[in-house]
Amino acid sequence: MSSQDGDALAIQARGLRKTFHDPQRGEVEAVRGLDLECRHGEIYGLLGPNGAGKTTTLRMLATILAPTAGSASIDGVDVAADPLEVRRRIGFLSGSTGLYARMTARETLRYFGRMHGIAKGPLEARVDELIEAFDMGSFAEGRCEALSTGQKQRVSIARAVLHDPPVLILDEPTTGLDILASSAMIDFIESRRSAGTCVLFSTHILSEAERLCDRIGVIYDGRMLAVGSLKELQSQTGEEWLEDVFKALVRDADGAALGDPVQ
Amino acid sequence: MAGSHFTAVWEVACKELRTGFRDRQTTLYALVLPLCMYPVLFWLMIQGFLVVQGKKEHTDVTVGVVAQALEHVTPDLEQTLTQQSEDGSEASDAVEEDDRINVVELQKLGQAADLAAARAWLTDDPAQGEQAVRPDAVLFLPTPSGSEESDPTNRAQLFYDSTRSRSDTARKRIEARLPEVIDARREARAVARGFDPAELTPLSVERHDIAPVEDKGALILSLMLPMLLVMMTVMGAFFPAVDLTAGEKERKTAETTLLLPIPRTAIHQGKILAVSTTAVLATVLNLIALGLSAEHLLASLTRGMDVRIDLPVAALLSIVPLAALYTFFVSAVLTGIAGLAASFKEGQALLGPAQMIFIFPAMAVALPGLELNLATAWIPVLNVALAFRAMLLGQGLYLEYLLTAVALSLYAALAIRIAVRLLAHETVLLSGKTIPFKRLISLLRP
Repeated sequence: MSSQDGDALAIQARGLRKTFHDPQRGEVEAVRGLDLECRHGEIYGLLGPNGAGKTTTLRMLATILAPTAGSASIDGVDVAADPLEVRRRIGFLSGSTGLYARMTARETLRYFGRMHGIAKGPLEARVDELIEAFDMGSFAEGRCEALSTGQKQRVSIARAVLHDPPVLILDEPTTGLDILASSAMIDFIESRRSAGTCVLFSTHILSEAERLCDRIGVIYDGRMLAVGSLKELQSQTGEEWLEDVFKALVRDADGAALGDPVQ
Repeated sequence: MAGSHFTAVWEVACKELRTGFRDRQTTLYALVLPLCMYPVLFWLMIQGFLVVQGKKEHTDVTVGVVAQALEHVTPDLEQTLTQQSEDGSEASDAVEEDDRINVVELQKLGQAADLAAARAWLTDDPAQGEQAVRPDAVLFLPTPSGSEESDPTNRAQLFYDSTRSRSDTARKRIEARLPEVIDARREARAVARGFDPAELTPLSVERHDIAPVEDKGALILSLMLPMLLVMMTVMGAFFPAVDLTAGEKERKTAETTLLLPIPRTAIHQGKILAVSTTAVLATVLNLIALGLSAEHLLASLTRGMDVRIDLPVAALLSIVPLAALYTFFVSAVLTGIAGLAASFKEGQALLGPAQMIFIFPAMAVALPGLELNLATAWIPVLNVALAFRAMLLGQGLYLEYLLTAVALSLYAALAIRIAVRLLAHETVLLSGKTIPFKRLISLLRP
C-alpha cells in the first residue's frame, strides 16, 4: 500500500513534532514541524549536529517514540494508527539497539524471525543465508556478549534485514566502528539501493553523506533547513564543500531566527 | 507476528526464561538457593539456637544469699538451690563433672544485712566490697517466724538484673528450685501441727493433651511455612524482575525489544509471565526442600516432645493455586517497580524496601488470634499466608479459600494492568533516568 502522493514514497512525514518534558528545563521541543519524503530505492541522509533532532525523528518513524503532533507513514502505513505493521516493514538500527547478550547470533535471528511470523523452514534457510552473507559463520553459535564490535554490528544488520523490509532506518550506523567495519557498513548501505530498499540514515560525518546519499536533508534545531542532492544544495548555498554548505544553511537559519534578512 | 496476542506473550516469556537461566545469578537465586541454601540456613539457625540454649544451660551462675543470720540459710535450702545431696556430692550420681548443667553456686553474706545491703551486693563493684565476686542474683531470706524481727509476709526477695543474661538465668533457676523448698517446709509444718500435708492442697490439676502427635507437628509447620512461602516467592521474583526491566535498559536492548512487531502489552506481559514462572519455580523448589527436610531440621527442637513432623503433602498441593495467583501479584508489583529504574543497581535499590510490603504482612501470620476469615481473605499477602496455615492445620474453610482466590485474582489482574501501563510509558522506557515514585500517578494517567 503506497502513499497517495505517489507510488514511490517509502517514508513520509508532515509537520512532525516531538516535545519532551524535562524536570529541569521544562518542555523541550526536540523536533519542530519536520517534513520528510523518501522514495523506494533511494538513500537519504539526514545530516545535522548533535542535538539537532535526527535520532528523535528516526525513533518516531520506527515507532519507538510517539509523535506529539504531525503525521508520518512508512510505505503508506501510518506510524500512529498501525505501528505493528510499520515495524514489519522497517529494519531499524541505532546505537541503542543492542543485542541480547545471552543469546547467540543464530538464536537472535531465529527469535526475530519467529516474531516476524516467518515459518520454521524458510526461517532456517534465511538465517543460514544471512550468516553466510555477513560472514558470521565463525561466531554464529557464540553468545553475543562475547563478540567484537564489528561482529556485533554484523549481527545487528542481519537482524534488521532478516525480514527483508522495504525501508531501512539507520541512526549513525558507523559510530564506534573501525575503518574496516565502517567501510563494510557503507558497502552494505550502497548495496541496498540496488535491492530497491529505501535507506534513511542519520550522520554527522559529511564524507558519508557525500559518498552515499541520493538526497540529503539538513536538520538543525529540530527543523529541516534544506533538502536536495549534493549538487542542489551546493547550488542553493553557493558553496562547494558540504561542510560549507551546512555552515551556510545554519548561518541563514540562525540569522532568520534573530530577525536578519535571509541571504 | 502472525498468531494471537497470547502466542506473542508466550514467545517473549520463553525467550526471557531461556536467556535468564543462562545467567549465573538467576540460576543461583531461582534454583540453587531454594534447593540447598534455605534449608541449610534454616538448619544453621536451629543449631545456633540450640547452641545458645545449651550454652545457657551449661552456664554456672552465682547466687548470693543474704539473711539476718547465717543460720537462716538452712541446709535444705542450700541443697535444693545447688541440687547437691547431704554429703555434698551431686544429687545425681550419673551427672559427671563436665556435664553439670544449671549449676548454682551459693555465696553467703557473712553478716547481718538488710534489703539495701542485699541490693548493693548485686550492684556494687566487687573490688570495693568484702565479697570476692559479684553474684548474678541475690536472694534475701526473711527472718523465720517466731522471732521479734520476723517478716509477717514471710516473703523472700530475689534481686536480679533482667538486662544481663546470666542474672536472668540465675533468677529462672532459683524460681524453679525454690518451690521444692517451700513445699518441703509446708509439709514439715503441717506434720508438726498434727495434720495431713495433703489437706494443704485441696485441688490439683493433671493435664492431658489429646491432640494427635501429627497435629502438633502440623501446628509447628503452620507457624513457619506460610511466612516462608510468602518470602520465598518474593525472593524468587526479585532478581528476574530487575533483570528483565532495568537490566535490559542497562544492556541497551530495551529499544531492540520495542522493535518486535508485536503489541507492546504482549512484551511486558511476557516479562511478567517470565518473572512469575521463575518465582513459582523458586517457591516450589524451596517448599519441597523444606517439606522434605522439615522432620530432620525440627527434630532437634522437638526432641523429648510428643510431636511428629510429617511432610504436609496435601497442604502443599492445596496451596498451589493460591500460591500461583499470589506469585503473579508479587511478580507484577516487583516488575512494575523495577521498571522505573534506569540500571540494575538502581532497580535493586528500589526493590529492597518494596519487598517489605510483602514481608511485613507475612510476619503478621504468627500473631495469635489472626485467622483466615471473610474479612482477612481480602487482605493481600496476609490472605495467602493465613490460607496456607489453615490448610496445614487441616481446616476446611472452603468459602474463605474461595474468597482468597477471588481476591488474589483481582489483585493480580490489577497489578499486571498497572505494571504493563507503567512499563509501556515512553518516559519509563526511554528517559535513561530512574523515575521517582512521586511521578507514579502522573505516569498512570491516561
